[in-house]
Amino acid sequence: MNMRNEDKGEPTGADARRDPLGLSALPELEPGFDGWAAVRAGLESRRRGRRQQAMGWMALAATVVLALGLSLRDPVETPTPAAATPGPELASDGQAGDDTLRALITLSQTVESQVRRLREHGGSMSAESSLYVAEIEDLVARVDAELSLQPGSVDLWGQRVNLLLDLEGLYRLEAQRDYHRLASL
Amino acid sequence: MTGPSFDIELDAITLAAAKRGDVAACERIYRRFQKPAFNVAVRICQCRETAQEVVQEAFITAFSKLRQFRGDAPFWGWMKRVVVNHAISHIRRQPQAPHVEYEDFLGGADGEQEAIGRAMDLESALATLSDEDRAVVWLYDVEGYRHEEIADLFGKTESFSKTRLSRARARLRALIEDREARNLAGASA
Repeated sequence: MNMRNEDKGEPTGADARRDPLGLSALPELEPGFDGWAAVRAGLESRRRGRRQQAMGWMALAATVVLALGLSLRDPVETPTPAAATPGPELASDGQAGDDTLRALITLSQTVESQVRRLREHGGSMSAESSLYVAEIEDLVARVDAELSLQPGSVDLWGQRVNLLLDLEGLYRLEAQRDYHRLASL
Repeated sequence: MTGPSFDIELDAITLAAAKRGDVAACERIYRRFQKPAFNVAVRICQCRETAQEVVQEAFITAFSKLRQFRGDAPFWGWMKRVVVNHAISHIRRQPQAPHVEYEDFLGGADGEQEAIGRAMDLESALATLSDEDRAVVWLYDVEGYRHEEIADLFGKTESFSKTRLSRARARLRALIEDREARNLAGASA
C-alpha cells in the first residue's frame, strides 16, 4: 500500500501531514448518469415556488396597504433602509417580483411611519412590551443590515414588513390599554 | 489514478450568466463539476444512488443560491462546500447505505492489476468505517479540510474531528495490514 512507515505515528498540530494512507490515489469513479434533466427540473420547480411565494407577498402587501390606508391620512415618509430601490438581482424574477418588491417597500414605509406616530403619541408601556419592542427592533436592524447587501430581496422586505406589523400591533395594544386605564379613572 | 479535482477554473462570463439564471450556463457548470462532485459525494456516502441524489440536490441548491456567491474565493471551493454539506447532512439523516461496487475500477491494463488490487484493499477498508469516520478521514486527508472546518460541518468540536481522524486512520491501517498478511499467506500456501 501507499502507507509509509514514517507516517505510522499520528501527525499532530495544525499542519499535520495529510493522507498518510494514500487515499487520494484511489481511482476516480465515473458518475454513470446524466442528472442535468433532474437538476433543471428541480430548479424550475424552485423558481415556480418562489414566484408563487412572491405572489403571496403581493397579496399580503395589497391587503395590509388597504387596511392601513383606511386609518392613515398623512403622506408616506421616506424609507429607513438606504437601499429602497430594486437591485439588479431582481431582474431574473421578472415583472411580478418587481411589483411585489415595490409593494413591500411602500408597505414597509407606511407601517414604519405608523409605528413612529404611535410611538410619539403613545403613553407608558409595560416592561414586558418594552422587552418585545426592543427584540423586534433588534430584528428589524438585522434585516436592514442584510438588506444593505441584498436590496432587492423580496423575502427580506417581507420579513421587514412582518416585523414592523408586529411592532405596530404591540404599540396599538399598549395604546388601547392606556385608553382603558384612563377611562377607568 | 488520482481522482478528479474540484479545482476547475470557471470563466466570469459563464458565472455571470448562471447568476442571471441562464439555463445553458448552469448546464455548462453542471457538466464541468458533475464528476468531481460525484466523487466527493460517493466517497462520503459510500453509495452510488445516494451520491447521485446528493449531487443533484447540491447543484439545485448551488444554482438557486448562486447570487449569494460573492466571488471573493474561487467558485470551485464554494461548489465543493455545497456538495460536502449536502453529503454530510445526508449521512447524518440516513442509516448506513449499500457500498460501492468494485467493478467501478476494474478493467485496466494487466500491469495495473497490482495497483488495482491495492486500491481495492483500501476501498474495501474504507467501506468498513462508519459514515462519520470515513467522511472525516476523506475530508481531512484528501479534500484538505482543516479540523476546524470539519467540526463546523458536523456541528461538533475540533476534538471530535481529531479523534475521528486518528481512529479512522488506525482502523484503515489495521485492516490493510490484515489483508496484506492474508494475501501473503494465500500466495505462499
